[in-house]
Amino acid sequence: MSSLQSGSVSPKPYVDPTPLPDNVPKVQELGLTSAPLKSAAFFIGAYCKEFNEDFMLCKAENREPSHCLKEGRRVTRCATDLINKMRENCLSQFQEHWNCLERNNQEYYMCRKPERTLNACMFEKLGLTKTIPGAPAGQKPIHEVESPIFKAVQK
Amino acid sequence: MPVPWEALIPFGLLTVMFGASGTLLNLSTRAQNLGKPIRFNIDNWDEMMMKRDEQLTGHKRGQRDDPAPPPGFETSSVWEAHPTR
Repeated sequence: MSSLQSGSVSPKPYVDPTPLPDNVPKVQELGLTSAPLKSAAFFIGAYCKEFNEDFMLCKAENREPSHCLKEGRRVTRCATDLINKMRENCLSQFQEHWNCLERNNQEYYMCRKPERTLNACMFEKLGLTKTIPGAPAGQKPIHEVESPIFKAVQK
Repeated sequence: MPVPWEALIPFGLLTVMFGASGTLLNLSTRAQNLGKPIRFNIDNWDEMMMKRDEQLTGHKRGQRDDPAPPPGFETSSVWEAHPTR
């Protein structure tokens, strides 16, 4: 035991190939990576609000993975549904926005121009708006401010 | 009157040396990040997401926007196992 000081042996990667048992309904996972997810984040929040809140409340009760499988499946299905709709309607704006995010350290403030076109397209086609929960009530939300302090170099 | 061009050699040398090392650093970091600028201020959430990106695309900076994951994604998570004895 004393020979295994923390850091003396590097952790070995372990992959468990066992799939979920058959009594758990199968849901296809969402194959989106981080930048498209970040781009779609606020729309997932607007579209899947009830399912997401259900899942969070369930997790707050009990952090065991097996406790919240049903709510988790609902979240996955709702997010997949929204992504499919987004791709159907606003694919080019979506791709432009997440490519811009990926070039800029995934910061929202650097990519306001593609974000505005994406927000306009999403509102027109799917009726979803981006709202920042917890934003100060009286002021304009930061993504709608015309001349922010933190911004990209070129307008 | 002859121009003192020898005095400009150090300026030239410094410009070339700074330029070369800066360019080399830029190219090296971009090459490691699939042609994109390097990511900074990465916290644990970003580490976790980049690990997931590697599972999905094979590279930490690879991105895809296809909602259907590649086959085997559900069981390809990598955990770090430590020896106990």
